[in-house]
Amino acid sequence: MSERIALLLTFARRGEDGEVERALNHLRGPAAGGPGAHVAALGTPVSEPVLRQLGVEDLILYGGGKGARAAVREARALRPGAAAILYCGPGFAAHLKLEAFALLSGAGKLHLLSPGLPVKTIGRLRLAWSVSVKALATGVHLLVGALICGVAFACLRLSQMLAGGRRVSGA
Amino acid sequence: MRTTLILVNYNGRDLLAQSVPAALEAARRAGGHPVMVADDHSSDDSIEFLCRRYPEVRVLALPKVGFGGACNAAVEAAETEAAVLLNNDVVVTPGFLPPLLADLAQPDVFAVGCRFLNPDGSLTNALGNRTAGEWRGGLLHIHHETRLEMLRQTCPQLYANGGGMAFRRDRWLALGGFDPLFCPFYWEDADIGYRAWGRGWRVLFEPASTVYHDQGSTMGRVHKPPHIELMSAKNAVLFTWKNLLDLRLFHRALNAQASWAADDVLIGGLPNRTAALWRAFRQLREARRARAREQRQRIRSDQEIIALSAGGEV
Repeated sequence: MSERIALLLTFARRGEDGEVERALNHLRGPAAGGPGAHVAALGTPVSEPVLRQLGVEDLILYGGGKGARAAVREARALRPGAAAILYCGPGFAAHLKLEAFALLSGAGKLHLLSPGLPVKTIGRLRLAWSVSVKALATGVHLLVGALICGVAFACLRLSQMLAGGRRVSGA
Repeated sequence: MRTTLILVNYNGRDLLAQSVPAALEAARRAGGHPVMVADDHSSDDSIEFLCRRYPEVRVLALPKVGFGGACNAAVEAAETEAAVLLNNDVVVTPGFLPPLLADLAQPDVFAVGCRFLNPDGSLTNALGNRTAGEWRGGLLHIHHETRLEMLRQTCPQLYANGGGMAFRRDRWLALGGFDPLFCPFYWEDADIGYRAWGRGWRVLFEPASTVYHDQGSTMGRVHKPPHIELMSAKNAVLFTWKNLLDLRLFHRALNAQASWAADDVLIGGLPNRTAALWRAFRQLREARRARAREQRQRIRSDQEIIALSAGGEV
C-alpha cells in the first residue's frame, strides 16, 4: 500500500497551476508513485484552492492554525512511497520547510521539481545534507536580521525619546 | 475650490494619449481647472507630444527625481488651493472631480481617494479602494476593498492611492509632501495618509469619483518584478521604522522583522527579505530623523489611526 501513495509538497498559489499539474503528473507516472498512485499533498491554506481545483482531495494543510509537528505526523501516517517537492524556482534554493517535511515524511523516493528544469531525483541522505546546509543558512539569516533590527530598534527608540512631542506613543 | 490636475509621467507617451484628454475633459466640465503633466525626465517623446497635441496642458519638465520627487515638485508648482495627483495610466471619468472637491471642502479632510476600476470595469485585484490597515507580523498590512457592495458610500480610509488622490495643497505642504525616504517608489502615499491621520486630519474614499487604472502598466515596463518587490518590501520596513510610535507594537514588529529574514531560506520566493532589511538599514539615519519628526507632530496614537481610518471610534 505504501508505495502507491505519493506526497506532493508545495507552497504554490494561484497562477502556478501549470507547475502543480506537472508535479501531479510526475507523481502519477512510472518514475514516482506509478500509474494509479494516490496523490496526497502537503500545502498551505494559500495553495489549497489550486490543489483542490486540480483534483487533490487528500490535503494536509500546514499553517493557518496547524503546527509543523501535526502536519509531519499526518504525512508520516500516510506512509508515502514517494514525495515530490515543488520549488517556486528558479532552481532548488530555499524551501527548507518543505525539504524538512519531505525528509520527515519517511518517503523513500524523493523528487525535486522547479519551473523550467528537468525533474531531479535524490536520495534521503542527499536531502538530509541539503536540509542541514539550509538550516545553517537560516541561522545566519536570523543573526543578520536580529543584528539589523536590534541596532535599528536602539537608534530609533533613542531618537524618539530625544524628540519630545506628545505622549501618543506609549513611550 | 480651484484645483490642479497633475499627471505624473515617465516614458508614457502612449498612456498620455488616453489619460490627458480624459483629464482635460473632466477639468473643463468641472469649471475649467488647470491640467499639468510632471515629466520625470522621460527619454521618449512625451514632452514633444504634449506640446504639439495639448498646448493647454502645462508641462513641468523635471530632472530625474523619481515618482515622489516629481509629485512634490508638481504640487509645489501648482498655484491652486487643491490638487489631484493622477498616474499617467489612470483614465478619469468626465464627472470624477466635483465629488472629490465636495469632500475636500470639509474642514478636517486632508485627502480624498477615487474609486479605482480595472480598464474592463471590474474590481478584481483592484488596488486603492477603501484602504484599511492592520499591524501584523512586523508590518502594516493593507487591505484594499474589492467588493462592490462595500464601495457605495463615502467613508474614511487609511490613505488615498497616489494614482488618483485629491488633497488640500496647504496640508500637503505642511506634511512635507511625499517623503523621499520611500524613494524610488511605493508606500509614499500610505505614509502621507498615515501621517495626516496622525496630525488629526481625515482621508476619505469617494465612490462617486471613478477612474480606470491599468495597474502597473508604467512600473512594469520600467522595472523588473524582483526589483519592484524588493523596493516595496524595503519601504514596508521603513514605514514601520518611521511611523510605528507605539513602543509595545514597535518592539513586537522589530522582533517579527528579525525572524522575517529567515523566511528567505525557510520559504523562499519574492521578495528577498534579508536584502530588504539591509536596504532599509542603509537608510536608518534618514528613518531616524523622520521618526523624530513624526514623534513631535503626532497627536493620535497608532491604534487611533488604525481604528479611525477603518471607520471605527476610539
